[in-house]
Amino acid sequence: MSTFPEVPENFALERFDGIRKDVLADAVSRTSREFPDSSLEGTLREALFQEKHRLRKFRMFSASGPFTYGRHVRDARLWSGVRGDLLKRPVEAGRREITERTLRHYAEEIGGHFDPAVYRFATSIVPIGFNWMLNAASFHTFLPWKMKENVQSRLKIEGRTEHLRKLADRGTILLVPTHQSNIDSILIGFVIYMLGLPPFAYGAGLNLFTNPVLSFFMRHLGAYTVDRQKSNALYKALLKHYSTRVLEEGVHSIFFPGGGRSRSGAIENNLKLGLLGTGLQAQIRNYQNGKPNPNVYVVPMVMSYHFVLEAGSLIEDFLQHSGGHRFLPSGETEPFFLLRAMQFFWRFFSTQSDIHVRIGQPLDIFGNHVDEEGRSLGPNGTSIDPKLWLTTQGVLREEPARDREYTKRLGEKISERFHKDHTVLASHVVAHAYFEALRRQYPEHDLFKLLRLSIEQRTMPYARFAEEVIRLHGVLRERADQGGLFLSTALQENEAEHWIRDGMLALGALHGHAVLKHEEETVWSEDLNLLYYYRNRLTGYGLRGGLGEYDEQGFLA
Amino acid sequence: MTSKDFWRESKVAVLGAGSWGTVLANLAAPHAGSVKLWFRDEERARLANATRTNAEYFPDLALHKSIVAVSEVERAFEGGVDAILWVVPSSGSRALARKIAPLLRGHEILIHATKGIEEGTLKRVSEVLGEELPLARIGSVSGPNLAAEIAKGLPAATIVASRFQEVIDAGIALLTNPRFQVEGSHDLVGVEWAGTLKNVLAIAAGCFEALGLGWNARAMLLVRGLEEMMRVGKTLGAKPETFLGLSGLGDLIATASSPLSRNYRVGFRLAKGEKLEAILEDLDTAAEGVRTAMTIADYATSQSLRLPITQAVRGLVAEGWDGERFLGHLLT
Repeated sequence: MSTFPEVPENFALERFDGIRKDVLADAVSRTSREFPDSSLEGTLREALFQEKHRLRKFRMFSASGPFTYGRHVRDARLWSGVRGDLLKRPVEAGRREITERTLRHYAEEIGGHFDPAVYRFATSIVPIGFNWMLNAASFHTFLPWKMKENVQSRLKIEGRTEHLRKLADRGTILLVPTHQSNIDSILIGFVIYMLGLPPFAYGAGLNLFTNPVLSFFMRHLGAYTVDRQKSNALYKALLKHYSTRVLEEGVHSIFFPGGGRSRSGAIENNLKLGLLGTGLQAQIRNYQNGKPNPNVYVVPMVMSYHFVLEAGSLIEDFLQHSGGHRFLPSGETEPFFLLRAMQFFWRFFSTQSDIHVRIGQPLDIFGNHVDEEGRSLGPNGTSIDPKLWLTTQGVLREEPARDREYTKRLGEKISERFHKDHTVLASHVVAHAYFEALRRQYPEHDLFKLLRLSIEQRTMPYARFAEEVIRLHGVLRERADQGGLFLSTALQENEAEHWIRDGMLALGALHGHAVLKHEEETVWSEDLNLLYYYRNRLTGYGLRGGLGEYDEQGFLA
Repeated sequence: MTSKDFWRESKVAVLGAGSWGTVLANLAAPHAGSVKLWFRDEERARLANATRTNAEYFPDLALHKSIVAVSEVERAFEGGVDAILWVVPSSGSRALARKIAPLLRGHEILIHATKGIEEGTLKRVSEVLGEELPLARIGSVSGPNLAAEIAKGLPAATIVASRFQEVIDAGIALLTNPRFQVEGSHDLVGVEWAGTLKNVLAIAAGCFEALGLGWNARAMLLVRGLEEMMRVGKTLGAKPETFLGLSGLGDLIATASSPLSRNYRVGFRLAKGEKLEAILEDLDTAAEGVRTAMTIADYATSQSLRLPITQAVRGLVAEGWDGERFLGHLLT
């Protein structure tokens, strides 16, 4: 049997329900203060306009309809009240009250809970469930005493795990993972648990709350709700203040800095800075309030999958947006989550493949490296005192224009770390190599023409494919030696023949059709869209030499 | 405390005591508490403190009373500084940055006045400094600023560019005077590239002058040159409108028409048939355009960008082309 870590005790999130009221009230009053009296009329009207528009789009008979109906009704009631008040009262009167009422309504929706009993229950049942499923799927063993394998052997947690544990004691962690699949949320929770860390607060998209089982756990394990459909200024500001306030309490948090899941399959390049900046805000406030452990540490986490549950619908979405009329959508839809998640883990366990999760180089709120003692490191052996970076004209203070730039810098450094802390798997290499070999065969084709090649046109001799794979492997190995990325153990140690075969098998494992197929002396792909998706994992490294996001033919570079 | 009050008490280090460094120190001195001007050479620093002039460049220009010349770079940072004016050639920037990195604390504002890029890496000076120094608030000052004219008190304007507004504000507070206007820009990438690329065109313009090609030809050169600058800039993330401002077109007109410009003089003498080594020896200050032309020409080849003027300047400085061949390349 496997050994699972002790469940940690006495952590900040555990006390959360006791302070929840204060946190929400603070977030509301800080947000309210951000909007001066003169701006309230305009802000409210704009929010009303956007919300009316959003509410009109609600569909009862959709996948999420029945689960969000209650929320919809409450929102609708609020805004018709706001509308009435804006019309009834003379201009400018009572605007502050209306604003704060709206913010309190949102705060109740956003604010999470933490129930220690649910946490203890989940941490005792989930690992056993995972192990049971693993053994059932790989050996068809349903008897607990016959279980031979454990989850740790299949979920590879690598990188700076010890570093992360040390920093978690010295300050507040802001974990920033790459995001490919809704599975990520479950997996990250599990990784945090496996590392023996206390649970993290997590801003979860509304769509994850539509499943009753998942929703129950999230709601009681510190997840707070983020509704990305709500784009008005009041909501966005409140979300930031809430997150800042939670960090100030020393509650470790998770943000997906790419916003949603990566549509193209590539590692995130342009990060959303809104929530990211709350780490900086929290640290400044901690200094001002004389907190003993004021620092917020930003820790990248990079996940490497052989197959992604939603790859088909994500890449459709991406191609549709970037291609416009040049792309004919096939109507692939988002899979129904819980069922497909079970299917994912079943397949994952039964195919003997593994998932790599790497804890990356920890950064400070400006993007500088942080050592194990929690000190910010500058170039040439210097160390950086964050207080001095936050000092403007001799005073340590918030400075919105400056802090925005620092956060932009942090975003750039996170994206750089995502690429460097990425573990490249055999399946990524074969997908990228096949696609590039195909491009070489049709140098005049742009992306959308290439994706429409017939089966005959996209079939190539195995030897040519293998040659491209070996060449790419050489380039990647060079990059790995320079610290530009990591190669999985298979790519480092095994015979090329073996990892090429394994990579091709793993690549296709989840999908109905083979992403890459090898028969006799030829190789082809049954689904070029999917292949493009998996190929994109190795973009952003400038493997073709250019600087931009896209190359001259419109392929992700 | 207003921004002006803060800077009145501030300590400023000016690194590099060439012609532009000397003038910048003199511009900043009335607005700052104290200014340290760093010379590479001990004897010249001693002389500057004794005579209150930088005799090598401006024997008639009196150094402001609050300027202290130093020759050990550590002394420029003694007791900490609030702002650094960086007037070091691009080729020496990385090495000096490494040396002074331990002397900085992190709150300093740095504004560099170096119009060049790192050879081979295509890195802008602010990128190099950001990689080597433990500070983030970096900016650049750039514009049509022939040091000799500003030393005489002739009117001029410049741009301070940075991603950080407070760097721009510091530049405006420290450098503005009734004859010298300072504008701000957030397009640091554009301002740095504009200042760098126009040096290549200044070489071409000097060459045109030596060949006696006339005003029509010069106008053609400047306009096509500007287009080339914008084409390169676009691929490097610069905003096109920056090239039409003071640090782009403005600087281009000044450097490409004035014999005061070093790069212009290099082009002039090359077209007259002199050898590059001999010219550079005479100038004894950096002519950034020579290196830039070679770096950009390589970059253009790798990106399949068409840059005929840059290619021709490269031919002139690196491949021993004469004036005729240079002109021929531009007119094909």
